[in-house]
Amino acid sequence: MSKLTSKDLKQTFFRNLFASSTGWNYEKMMGLGYCYAILPVMKKLYQDPEVLKRRVKSQLQFFNCTAIMSNLVLGANMAIEESEGEQSAETITALKTGLMGPLSGVGDTIFGVTWGTVFFSIAAYMAIEGSPIGCILALILGFLKIPLGYLFLKIGYNQGAKVVDAVGGTVQKVTQIASMVGLTVVGALIPTVVTATSAWVYKHGKVTVNVQTDVLDKILPSLIPVALVALTYWLLGRKHMNSTRVIFILLILAIALYSLKVLA
Amino acid sequence: MHIEMWRILLLALYGAWSIYDGLNTAIGFKGSAVTGMFVGLIMGDMTTGLVIGGTLQLMSLGIGSYGGASVPDYNTATIISTAFAVTNHMSTGAAIGLAIPISLLAVNFDIFARFVNTFLQHRAEAYADQGKINAVGRMNLLGSVSWSLSRFLPIFVALWLGNGFVKEALAALPQWFMGGLKTAGGILPALGIAILLKYLPLNKYFAFVLIGFALAAYGKIPMIGISIVALAIAMLITFAKSSNGQPTQAQTVANTNATQLGVDEDE
Repeated sequence: MSKLTSKDLKQTFFRNLFASSTGWNYEKMMGLGYCYAILPVMKKLYQDPEVLKRRVKSQLQFFNCTAIMSNLVLGANMAIEESEGEQSAETITALKTGLMGPLSGVGDTIFGVTWGTVFFSIAAYMAIEGSPIGCILALILGFLKIPLGYLFLKIGYNQGAKVVDAVGGTVQKVTQIASMVGLTVVGALIPTVVTATSAWVYKHGKVTVNVQTDVLDKILPSLIPVALVALTYWLLGRKHMNSTRVIFILLILAIALYSLKVLA
Repeated sequence: MHIEMWRILLLALYGAWSIYDGLNTAIGFKGSAVTGMFVGLIMGDMTTGLVIGGTLQLMSLGIGSYGGASVPDYNTATIISTAFAVTNHMSTGAAIGLAIPISLLAVNFDIFARFVNTFLQHRAEAYADQGKINAVGRMNLLGSVSWSLSRFLPIFVALWLGNGFVKEALAALPQWFMGGLKTAGGILPALGIAILLKYLPLNKYFAFVLIGFALAAYGKIPMIGISIVALAIAMLITFAKSSNGQPTQAQTVANTNATQLGVDEDE
């Protein structure tokens, strides 16, 4: 059986980088992309056309994972199949299905939620002031993230089946830090990004009360935004709710409150 | 006034490229602020693009696609509304009012692409059975065509046919509707924030939301500064915990800071 070289590792990495989700579909999600990434490795490891056929079919199974994290799975998959051959087929399926969930949880927290929120809120603020610097910085960081995927693939390949134990501790720490930073930024976004002020002015005889500046701001700055986030958070937890439906509810609410002159 | 064909083609291509990047390379070309910058450049008015893109970016923070969920497509909306805003000298408020309905309509193109590619998956499985291994790989690459077209075509058609229509529609819309949409523009970021709170371990680290809120609402500290403070506290807590079992001085300091902000850490 032929051995895999660093050229094979690179080829798999680039295939996963450029086409992990081009074939994304509702039935097997990234199954097609995963198979595409590991296809040359399959061809190299299995000369028997019948075995190759079975392995390719098996690699087309359901798979869904944050693209950059799936490098860990690909690496481990390559190491195991290189040493064990086709008899590892069940191990590989178990490895893929077992790892994709937890890795996506971590990957979405770090590279989706926290990365996106922190860097793109900074980019957005600078953009609103007319400066492209934040956007360019976000793109540079996005490019710098790419080699990290190759590092993950190598870690996966070197650790093989032990990949979970090997990265578990570090990943946990990074995820914890990312969650903490993410939540802080989200907390900071409430008063800065949500803008809703009351247009209500109460008049009785000589007494005039501006509800926003005289009442609400004295209780808590950004009281209305806080209430709106709490309402939306609650809405999202209801059955049959998705983000599109919540947008419609918020749209109707905004138009109603604007027309009633409650909100400016 | 209409938009020149070369601009329309470039904008539609950017739409196709950014959805590709969002799914695969994930560099960040699908962020509305970045998209606004490029659309502004193509339209010859980068500042307008940045302002509209940046505003839509803040509205859509948190509304990302995880696990293949189809979410309102603010990116496509940024491209179309910015192009119209530059050509018709629309205000940012009017451009946002236009972008919201577009983002909701554009969800359907996303669903369409994800659906069409199921056919490619079936073809790939059939090829695998027949031993045509290279054809299996081609099916995956072919999927990029449906993904690209899912954004290229709507953007192209909207910009090619839509300018006159958009202008008339905007003039005909009543004040309560346009004003309401402007109010909605301020309220809608609450959704993105709520989604983020759902994704992150809110119950465990609720204290950090309070820290962020206080620093922004009372301290008026810019986002970069708040991120650095958060990173510092997070590192203190994470590494202090790991070095030994007992809370160290660093952790006690972090906890004290949290308590001063009225946080009750009862984990």
